Amino acid sequence: MRSLVDRMFIDPFHRLADQSAHIVPVLVIVLVTLIVGGFVAFVFRWLTYKLLQLARFDRLVQRTGFASMIERTGVFRSPSDLGARFVQAIVWVLVALFALNATDTPASVEMVRRFVDYIPNVIAAGLVLLLGVVVSRMVSRSALLAAVNAQWPAARLIAGGVRVLVMTLAVVIALEQLRVGSVALLVAFAIVFAGIVFAMALAFGLGARDMARQWLETKVRSSVAEEEVFRHL
Amino acid sequence: MDELFPTELKARLDQIGEADIVVGIPSYNNARTIGHVVRAVSVGLAKHFPSRRAVIVNSDGGSKDQTKDVVLKAESGADDLLLVSHPVQVSYRISTPYHGLPGKGSAFRTIFAVAKRLKAKACVVVDSDLRSITPGWIELLAQPVLEYEYDYIAPYYHRHKYDGTITNGIIYPMTRTLYGKSVRQPIGGEFGFSGRLAARYLEKDVWDTDVARFGIDIWMTVTAIAEGFRVGQAYLGAKIHDAKDPGSDLTSMFRQVVGSFFSLMESYDSVWKNASCCEAVPLFGFPFEVGVEPLTVNTDRMIHAAQQGVKDLREIYASFLSPSTMVDLTSYVHRNGQGFHIPDQLWVHMIYEAAAAYHHRVLDRDHLLQSLVPLYLGRTASFVLEVTESTAPQVEERIDQLCRVFESEKSYLAQHWDAAGKEKFHAQPS
Repeated sequence: MRSLVDRMFIDPFHRLADQSAHIVPVLVIVLVTLIVGGFVAFVFRWLTYKLLQLARFDRLVQRTGFASMIERTGVFRSPSDLGARFVQAIVWVLVALFALNATDTPASVEMVRRFVDYIPNVIAAGLVLLLGVVVSRMVSRSALLAAVNAQWPAARLIAGGVRVLVMTLAVVIALEQLRVGSVALLVAFAIVFAGIVFAMALAFGLGARDMARQWLETKVRSSVAEEEVFRHL
Repeated sequence: MDELFPTELKARLDQIGEADIVVGIPSYNNARTIGHVVRAVSVGLAKHFPSRRAVIVNSDGGSKDQTKDVVLKAESGADDLLLVSHPVQVSYRISTPYHGLPGKGSAFRTIFAVAKRLKAKACVVVDSDLRSITPGWIELLAQPVLEYEYDYIAPYYHRHKYDGTITNGIIYPMTRTLYGKSVRQPIGGEFGFSGRLAARYLEKDVWDTDVARFGIDIWMTVTAIAEGFRVGQAYLGAKIHDAKDPGSDLTSMFRQVVGSFFSLMESYDSVWKNASCCEAVPLFGFPFEVGVEPLTVNTDRMIHAAQQGVKDLREIYASFLSPSTMVDLTSYVHRNGQGFHIPDQLWVHMIYEAAAAYHHRVLDRDHLLQSLVPLYLGRTASFVLEVTESTAPQVEERIDQLCRVFESEKSYLAQHWDAAGKEKFHAQPS
């Protein structure tokens, strides 16, 4: 009778106590990690915000035109706020990984390993996007200036198109780095790009046949057709 | 320096040894006009410097036409033209490709190096597309250097009132205002200079910049003035050249010339900040009235360029022009036809603010310079409309009036230039 009671009630309690002895410290560690990590992330956010303010980051971003875009989202107060929150998010991710790792279960260890392996791809994608933003801005401004100086009426449209094109290319490359539907994206991009070029060629060649002819004529005849013969120097 | 010389040229220079005068002619596909220039130079040397050892150097940018053959075979016809009986020293002729970036500046660099190698006392450079050059030009450009110890002789021409608009609207007024010397054609293209100035030019490390291209003329002039070399001018009559520079387009030309000028302002900022305006520069030669070719200008197209620029490049302009300048620009630029006008003060402020923005790197320098082209076209159209009925002396007086506005606003430039940091850049000086 005694052994039956032990088997039915006492042993499961013992087993639960044993398991709890393993789990509770881990849970405590996870909880403490999250609480401390949350505080550390907040401190990092505060420090980053102060540093960016000190470095006049907002004014710098204002010149690039991104500040208004950031403010328009309604989520972030300013570019410095965005930067600070970004740093906070990174610290949060690291804290979460640390906490996950502390549970020491095969599934969590595998998850952490996979995440760590994925980090270089995330960084590469981020860099590609950043480069895309900078390059698209430079290239579109060059296109705008060249088009304005050539007195093309659709100068802004051309510059905008160039910017979208470069950014699209950057996004496709970034997504390829993140291994998100890379082949499908590449094919979609190629189809869209080829479509645009084909459509423009048709529009220029058929829709604006006379203009195309005139343009080619002026290119071939070069300076002979120049209306002004005075020198600027 | 020897790396600038191909083996063939080195051997030829060794053979020549030394020379008193080097005349340099940069060229690129100028077979049509360079023969006349070489003949004029040869006759000029024979007539005015018969006892001097002279070398004519054609520094060529890889012409695909017969430029080299024309240079080497051009007959001077000196015997018929000179009408002199005294013995004449035969001038040597060299046609050589130059090294470095393709452009006029790189061609000049080879000419400087040849002058230094031959220990030349005087050096003259002339454009290869000139139709109005006469033998007298060589005398006027070289003699002040050989006889009167001048280091730099700039040309002084009569030009059509619509010709040389970058010179009249920006470069001449700014050179005069900043460096205190009234050199009327600082980017004329024809210059005389001493051997020691040529050697000084060679010491500079500028040959990978726009100085290697169209920036060379203003760079030579400003360097000579700012470094205290003795500067003069030579009256050459009219400047008539081939219809258009091969391969030159306004945007790149403007960018190279104005960019080089702004860059020189950084190199010599202690000079221009302390220079006072304006010292007359001695003029050699006998000024005479001369007819110039009529020119046509399409002001409507220029006005349209300016209006499109202000519409499409608004954000770029707002990044380097002050708010008050932006307001003025917008209000003036949208008037059409005869009502179109860009006042002197607005123009001067735009140029000064652009120079300061270039200095502070407010935006990419190439983009800044390119964005000035529509404004320049607008100002040129405004000037053309204003002087349509004016005579040459009246136009000259009008340019002088613009110079005075540049001078009176020099403190405005200094304030923008000295604004510490970009954030202070837009602070409005009183």
